[in-house]
Amino acid sequence: MRTLGLIRAATPPPVRDLWPRLRARLGDDERVHLRLPAFGWREASAIAVALGTLAVVPDPLRFLVACGLL
Amino acid sequence: MARPRRRDLLAYLVGAGVAGTLLIGPYGLRVAVIEVIPGAAAVQPPFFLLPILWGLWNLLWTRRQPAMSVGRWGALLGVLAGVVVNLLFVAEGGWFRAAMLLPLFLAVVYYLIWRVVIGPLNEALGVDGERTAV
Repeated sequence: MRTLGLIRAATPPPVRDLWPRLRARLGDDERVHLRLPAFGWREASAIAVALGTLAVVPDPLRFLVACGLL
Repeated sequence: MARPRRRDLLAYLVGAGVAGTLLIGPYGLRVAVIEVIPGAAAVQPPFFLLPILWGLWNLLWTRRQPAMSVGRWGALLGVLAGVVVNLLFVAEGGWFRAAMLLPLFLAVVYYLIWRVVIGPLNEALGVDGERTAV
């Protein structure tokens, strides 16, 4: 029993919680930084044209089906 | 065995992944729309090809590095897709007058998606390489 106790005392217990190790491995480099573009007049114009087109066409749902968006 | 470049593979997957996510519209809502408008079923664009088309277009963007923003590159695809869909409708005999607006409409919709979604994803995943402007 004394020998077994010595062996147990010599080796550290296994780490049960893996999350700290996983987080340490990932680090900040594994995070993706998404930089969304600023909303400007080009985007506003594009949205206006898209909505205007849907307002002009006689059958917007059929038009969207033809686009492959519906 | 062929070993594609990591950037090429990522570019294809970004384009295909975003287009595949957009397919929730056709697959999820088309049946309901056709119930409301029976005539809508007459036109059947091959929307299921969009992920392949978008993936290849983004791959081409990475390879060619054209002198235009990613939004304009997407708009160009929209114009081409609109023209091709018009020709398809003519060939099938299902063309209608409003289809003339498809190239314009798809250009602006694709412009927005490519500028707001594809461009930032390309940049974040390193597909764009040293180019940072989107």
